[in-house]
Amino acid sequence: MQILMKSNQSALKELELATGEIVSDCYQCGKCTAGCPASMDPSPSVLIHYLKLGLFEKAVNSESIWSCMGCLTCSERCPKNVSPAAIVEGLKRLHLNRMKPRVILHALGQEFLANSTQQAVVSGFRKFV
Amino acid sequence: MSKNLTHVPYYPGCSLKTKALGYERSAMDCAKAIGFEMHEIATWNCCGASFPLTKDNLMGLAAPANILLEAEQHCQEREIDANLITLCSFCYNTLKRTDFAFREEPKKLETLNAFLKRQYQGSIKVVHYLEYLRDVIGFDNLAKMVKRDMSSLRVAPYYGCLLLKPQKEMALDDPEEPVILHDFLEAIGCQVVDFPGQVDCCGSYLIMRDPEKVLELSHNILQEANDYGADALVTACPLCQSNLDQSEGERRGSDHYIGVQGMPIFYFTQLLAVALGLDTEPHQFERHCIDPTSILSACLEDGAKPIEAKK
Ligand code: SF4
Ligand code: SF4
Repeated sequence: MQILMKSNQSALKELELATGEIVSDCYQCGKCTAGCPASMDPSPSVLIHYLKLGLFEKAVNSESIWSCMGCLTCSERCPKNVSPAAIVEGLKRLHLNRMKPRVILHALGQEFLANSTQQAVVSGFRKFV
Repeated sequence: MSKNLTHVPYYPGCSLKTKALGYERSAMDCAKAIGFEMHEIATWNCCGASFPLTKDNLMGLAAPANILLEAEQHCQEREIDANLITLCSFCYNTLKRTDFAFREEPKKLETLNAFLKRQYQGSIKVVHYLEYLRDVIGFDNLAKMVKRDMSSLRVAPYYGCLLLKPQKEMALDDPEEPVILHDFLEAIGCQVVDFPGQVDCCGSYLIMRDPEKVLELSHNILQEANDYGADALVTACPLCQSNLDQSEGERRGSDHYIGVQGMPIFYFTQLLAVALGLDTEPHQFERHCIDPTSILSACLEDGAKPIEAKK
């Protein structure tokens, strides 16, 4: 399924408004990617590169955004005070606003949920649904 | 202790009441032995677990704001210091960042107050139990309360992510080279094994979507701690505990799992209870995947009977 097309300009603006981040601040040093434990592909800095190039749809449809676990290593290390974690979360939210949930919680099964740590279940609701 | 115990308001959160009950119980028992009593605030709700990273997400601040309000009311009614103690790293992170957001952007607080139809005055200081031990009790004083010989334990501190990051807001310790758990473990008499993976992510809530990835990340951490000579890991987060503990449980016997044999994952309060000479029976060691009791046997030689302190 394709996400409703928006002009890249306004989509980027929406993302920046939602996250409070300024994508053009990033100077592509790659420090965020170097420390990202999720081995995201495309990586956080490449996702930001897409956004800088105006390839919003490519960024928002990247499968890798769903591998981020919000560890904040990227944001902590960015020398330009950009938060790639916030940008990735913004992409996830814009995606979820228009599309189906990423995790169907009831499909996870009773046993899995019963054995899960509550804070993970709650975070799952927040980040994937 | 004969003196009156200091009343410290406490916010448990959801994991502490279920999966991590052993963490809560050991923390409460230790508090009493040290000289303070954790009082659960009368009404509370889930904090939402993960702080919303997108700045416009005010809805995500409503739950933690309500907790701060309840805590403020709790303290005002009792006329006590407005500290709110937490145990779970996620709760600590969410509440502290919410408080920070309100201080930085009073407009957000105004909006939330209007939405919740209450007035949060911003008096609450969110503290982690570990922070309370360091800054209020003092690790040197804690060392004097130790009743069991812990020196046979080679333990590695494991911080994970949300206890420390973002540093600007959490302001607890250095996010890359933290020392608070190290200093704590040293104070209670353990041999401390630092290892680089102590600040690596265990996979966190990705367990809901990609458990394989969590297994891999958790396993890397365990393997590295093992390579550095640790016999156990010590954490402050229920999700780190369960990710590491379960991944070890699941991987045991598989090809991926070479080298690490039964490395238990402790909550720091469980070890503190041992050190303080407390009865550890209520602290739910039996709920761990990897049984932690065998490596404690040297410390617990006299059964639950505390031995005389060295100092
Ligand atoms: S660390 Fe910051 S400046 Fe460097 S690539 Fe990542 S976001 Fe851009
Ligand atoms: S917060 Fe997400 S993008 Fe950033 S380092 Fe962690 S997993 Fe990677």
